[in-house]
Amino acid sequence: MTVTPMTVTPAPASAPVAEGDRAMVELQGVTKRYGEVDALKRVDLTIRKGEFVTLLGPSGSGKSTLLNLIAGMITPSSGRIVIDGRDATTLPTNQRGLGMVFQNYALMPHMTVFENIAFPLQVRHLPKDEIKRKVEQVLDLIQLGHVAGRRPRELSGGQQQRISLARCIVYNPALILMDEPLGALDKNLREQMQLEIKRLHADLGITMLYVTHDQDEALTMSDRIVLMNGGKIEQQGKPDELYFKPATVFSAEFIGSSNLIPGIVEAGGVSGLSLRTAIGTFPVPAADFAVSTGDKAMLLVRPENMTLTGGPGVTSVSGRIDDSILLGGVVRHFVRCKDQSTIIVQELNQPDRPIAKRGDEVRAGWPPAHARLLPPSVPH
Amino acid sequence: MAQSGTASELSLPSALMLLAPLTLLMLAILVYPLALTVWTSVYPGQFSLQAYTELLSSTLFLKVLKNTFEISLSGTLVSLLVGYPVAMHLAAQPPSRRTAYLIMVMLPFWTSILVKSFALAAVFGNQGLVNQLLGFVSGGQINLPMMFNRVGVILGMINFLLPFMILSILGSLLAQDRTLILAAETMGAKPLRIFWKITLPLSLPGVVAGVLINITLSIGMYITPALLGGRQDMMVANLVDFYTRQTLDWTAASATAVVLLLISGLLVALLGKVRGASGLSGAVA
Repeated sequence: MTVTPMTVTPAPASAPVAEGDRAMVELQGVTKRYGEVDALKRVDLTIRKGEFVTLLGPSGSGKSTLLNLIAGMITPSSGRIVIDGRDATTLPTNQRGLGMVFQNYALMPHMTVFENIAFPLQVRHLPKDEIKRKVEQVLDLIQLGHVAGRRPRELSGGQQQRISLARCIVYNPALILMDEPLGALDKNLREQMQLEIKRLHADLGITMLYVTHDQDEALTMSDRIVLMNGGKIEQQGKPDELYFKPATVFSAEFIGSSNLIPGIVEAGGVSGLSLRTAIGTFPVPAADFAVSTGDKAMLLVRPENMTLTGGPGVTSVSGRIDDSILLGGVVRHFVRCKDQSTIIVQELNQPDRPIAKRGDEVRAGWPPAHARLLPPSVPH
Repeated sequence: MAQSGTASELSLPSALMLLAPLTLLMLAILVYPLALTVWTSVYPGQFSLQAYTELLSSTLFLKVLKNTFEISLSGTLVSLLVGYPVAMHLAAQPPSRRTAYLIMVMLPFWTSILVKSFALAAVFGNQGLVNQLLGFVSGGQINLPMMFNRVGVILGMINFLLPFMILSILGSLLAQDRTLILAAETMGAKPLRIFWKITLPLSLPGVVAGVLINITLSIGMYITPALLGGRQDMMVANLVDFYTRQTLDWTAASATAVVLLLISGLLVALLGKVRGASGLSGAVA
């Protein structure tokens, strides 16, 4: 970088807009150890400003540990945490300038809704009239202005969680952390709240980090999903990427349903590769990972990419219908192959579709381009 | 009857039979003496409320009553100020260590109040451990009179009252949702604000219960003021003893006892109210 002669003061050490300037949170090699167990193993993660990132994973995968590390409720055993350009590795929670939404809402039972939302503003020593204005404003935003004088226990679960969201939004933190915030709500309310949180994120542009074990919730809400497994990041990417391009068997099984057929890689097919399995040899698309003939690998085909009707250029495997269930808009067929493994085929439900009966001989087919080659699963 | 099970319902005769032994015992050792006390206070030969009117106009009684309130209120206050931090510390411990600490809190109950009073005299008396230490450190300059005065009574009293205070505050601290503190911290609140705005208000039912239990227990105290207090620290129970054994005025003694009982009863009733109301304020007492 050149310093122009026009500059009177010494040039500030401003680098070109680096990734670091746009990052809200950066985790660098963060490990959290509990006794002998590593809850988190050398995790690197960057969350960009304004992004909606979801930490998805089964219980014990380390997603809550990661969230608590960022919140400052625990400190890492090693590694570094940078929040908004500031090293926050050992910074106390109350100095991190975060917002957090808890699964149990964590509203103060002895305060009214108004007092609850005013609390973070009082912490910031705002004048009374400004507090009143801001609280009313945010109550309008979530359309709960009429409950300002009530106590949390007089509200429904969904209302309480909206109040707890409002309590975060009102002081405009740079980052809002959400720990399974909709876990205690029933399905309809959960879907409604997902959209509401998404709307608030779009309107306010606050960076949000969301923890859930519910893949549908992650797919619905996120800009980016970080899939966690055994204290590590298994895979991260846009919802589409994670769904259509899972990198591992774990990713494929955790998000969406999947048919996984183990086999040995051979030469052949359009891409130059095919997979020899117990139920036949199938052409496969080029792999994302280093693979050579003779390697073990796994073939992934999503049930909705399969049909029973066949057609030109379709790879297929023969089997017998074990069961065929109607799920409303879709029909799911369970096809028993000759090695007794089951392949699931999901088709759209049409009024004139042929009804599959138990025992029918069928061919479950898929376009080879819709299949995906994965490395064999390795135990963690 | 809402209950459908017949096994849980007793016929009236068998219920009465099961209750009879305890009822008889209570009649013999509680109701009869109590009735006798009330009777003695209003029937010194013929029916008369004179004992009560005399009592309420007696300077001695009013002074002793004032003493009693002063001592039990200040004892309760000290017990609250000392007990609250202990309860907070206990609430912050992991359960296994808390159990061990709780045993230490309960330890005073394992010793008779008489033995404890003498032990306190040995520790806090003019030649006691504390004064010997103070004298040693100050070169004989300092000797605090801590026994056979108000300080002695309160020391002896809080030794007995503290466990009740600690346990009832601990209950309402443990009932608090820990995520409330975490939430307040993420919102930027400092520990002092969290204490004043969240921890303390949510523990109030426990505090009120502890205070009422303490006052109720201390207001009828007899041994402690008798052994550790001075002549100025007579309490109502000591006055009953005085009328009974020194002046042999059993009518006055009975009337005094009845007044003390009424005051305690009133406090217990109040205590019940607070416990019932605690559900509304968000914590369990």
